[in-house]
Amino acid sequence: MKKWHWITFLILTLITVLIQVLVDYKKPNEWDKIPLFYTFYGFIGCTLIIFISKWLGKLMIQKDEKFYDDF
Amino acid sequence: MMTFNIPPFLFFLLGGLLLPLIPKRLRGGIFLIPPLLSLWIVFGLEQGTRVTLDFLHFELIFLQVTNLNWIFGIIFSLISVIAGVYALHIDDLRQQVAASFYAAGALCVTFAGDFLVLYLGWEMMAVASTFLIWARGTTEAIATGMRYFLFHIFGGVLLLGGILLHVADTGSLELTSFADGESLAAWLILAGVAVNVAIPPLHAWLSESYPMATVTGAIFMSALTTKSAVYVLASLFAGWQILIFMGVLMALYGVVYAVLANDIRGILAYHIISQVGYMVAGVGIGTEMAVNGTTAHAFSHILYKALLFMGAGVVLHTTGKSKLTELGGIYNKQKLVFWLYMIGAFSISGFPLFNGFISKSIIVASAGYESMDVAALLLILASIGTFLHTGLKLPYWTWFGKESGITPDKTPANMIWAMGAAAFLCTFFGIFPGVLYSKLPYPEMVYNPFQIYHLIEMTQLLIFTFIAFWIFRKKLDGEPYLAVDFEYFYRWAGKLVLIIAHKPIAIIDGWWSEMYSRLGMSISRFSASVVAGRAEKGFDNTVHNRLPAGIYSGGNFLIKFLRADNRDMSSSILYLLAITIVFIILALIRIMA
Repeated sequence: MKKWHWITFLILTLITVLIQVLVDYKKPNEWDKIPLFYTFYGFIGCTLIIFISKWLGKLMIQKDEKFYDDF
Repeated sequence: MMTFNIPPFLFFLLGGLLLPLIPKRLRGGIFLIPPLLSLWIVFGLEQGTRVTLDFLHFELIFLQVTNLNWIFGIIFSLISVIAGVYALHIDDLRQQVAASFYAAGALCVTFAGDFLVLYLGWEMMAVASTFLIWARGTTEAIATGMRYFLFHIFGGVLLLGGILLHVADTGSLELTSFADGESLAAWLILAGVAVNVAIPPLHAWLSESYPMATVTGAIFMSALTTKSAVYVLASLFAGWQILIFMGVLMALYGVVYAVLANDIRGILAYHIISQVGYMVAGVGIGTEMAVNGTTAHAFSHILYKALLFMGAGVVLHTTGKSKLTELGGIYNKQKLVFWLYMIGAFSISGFPLFNGFISKSIIVASAGYESMDVAALLLILASIGTFLHTGLKLPYWTWFGKESGITPDKTPANMIWAMGAAAFLCTFFGIFPGVLYSKLPYPEMVYNPFQIYHLIEMTQLLIFTFIAFWIFRKKLDGEPYLAVDFEYFYRWAGKLVLIIAHKPIAIIDGWWSEMYSRLGMSISRFSASVVAGRAEKGFDNTVHNRLPAGIYSGGNFLIKFLRADNRDMSSSILYLLAITIVFIILALIRIMA
């Protein structure tokens, strides 16, 4: 990842936040009214998906690749 | 334009029958004729058209065009053309014939007007698609194919049981939609359809077999089985509340397993389950908008999922590897394939201007309109997972990540062309959603995907999902483990049946030999002693030596068949048991009613 990639992300996020605050547009869901809601939802959601899945994997899902060999 | 009211599955059926007679080098090209003809015929079909045949006391409806099945007919024909181009270099007759019959089954189901024709198409798909797994030829693929086959037969039996009950109740074979929880027949039919839709816990056949299928066979499989079942679900079970719950569960279930999967086609297979979850939820919501969403999403999904499977297929075809732990660092050799794959990944993730953006959002929005906030939020969460796996984890660890030292072979040009066609369509419908919207079951729907709130939603979600991925990307490299799913229980069920069935048969066999050697021998000795000389010899030869040998080898075969060292074949007992159970249930219901 190069520096300009991150700068693009920052600019895009800033634009969306500015629109959320300044422009009056249709917001069908309650959570659409919270500025930056989707940034948190995306980041936290993604982190939770990774860690909960990994935890479930260690807990019971992941087995040795030879698991079924002598089934 | 002239219209011909021909059931389109006939082209595929005829194609499948004629392919063996055609010279090898022409076969790949000839394979494309049935889907092209089918596409042309379906395009001209008008709503309400029926083609029927009187059979016994029933009227079989081989073609019934509704506002729902027309669009499915189009996309099934279209994807068969694209998958045919992708498979142009293949000269394996088995696969070509199997794919033809498979598509025939899917189109038979799609345009069926009654339950019997639907059932015929259903079973044709099950049998034909199994050969696309077996054609891979490895021991593992053959065993997996057998389990796949048995499980689909099990689903078919549930469906048949429901159909028989329905006919007994109503006296009619005609397809009708069911009210929520209407009858036992409806529940049985739902269970049968749920097998093909891959609703957990009936889904493990999909995640286990799709990574095993041949490179080209998997494209047909990713498009036909689940989506034809989604069509049946939408036409029979719209508004069933339980489907909302199951749909959301599916969407998240696939996401969790995709984190753990190591095989690239395994990751994509779990994302079929996840994406089909959206469609199932749409059917459950059941409003006009939601059913439109389901239809549109099935249409989009078939295009981008085929594209993704084609990309993963190229990797497998050119490197011989499909595990993330063994792949990496091949971007410089496969730039075009990577970017075509990424168009599929952008589409499935819901990037604006790609076709997932314009279809997935209809379902999420219709959940919002019905005040199902939790369902809507969970579906959005699942879409984060979709981008994480198909858009980031898979491509990053396949084409970038660590250096694997692999040099991929040259990609056949026809594979690139097929991917290009699919990528073009994903983008086309993403930019011009109106073309698709006007052909949906309820074309009067007012919905514009390009609204500010939706654009902001996707921009923020995608950027911050990416940031989280980048921070934790090391955690997402493939791990050399199996992710054990419900197939564990399928295997146990098969084993249990064997243990139960093995003993009685062994006992009967032992008892039979015992009886013969004691009773039969003494009787024959006695009667033989009555008849003198040569007659005795002749009789002895026949009864003592040949007959028991025959019986013994028969019994032996059964024992062998049932023994665990032949466990894949022997699990067909599971099928017999399933049939028996269904018919016992039916008989009990009849008696009690």
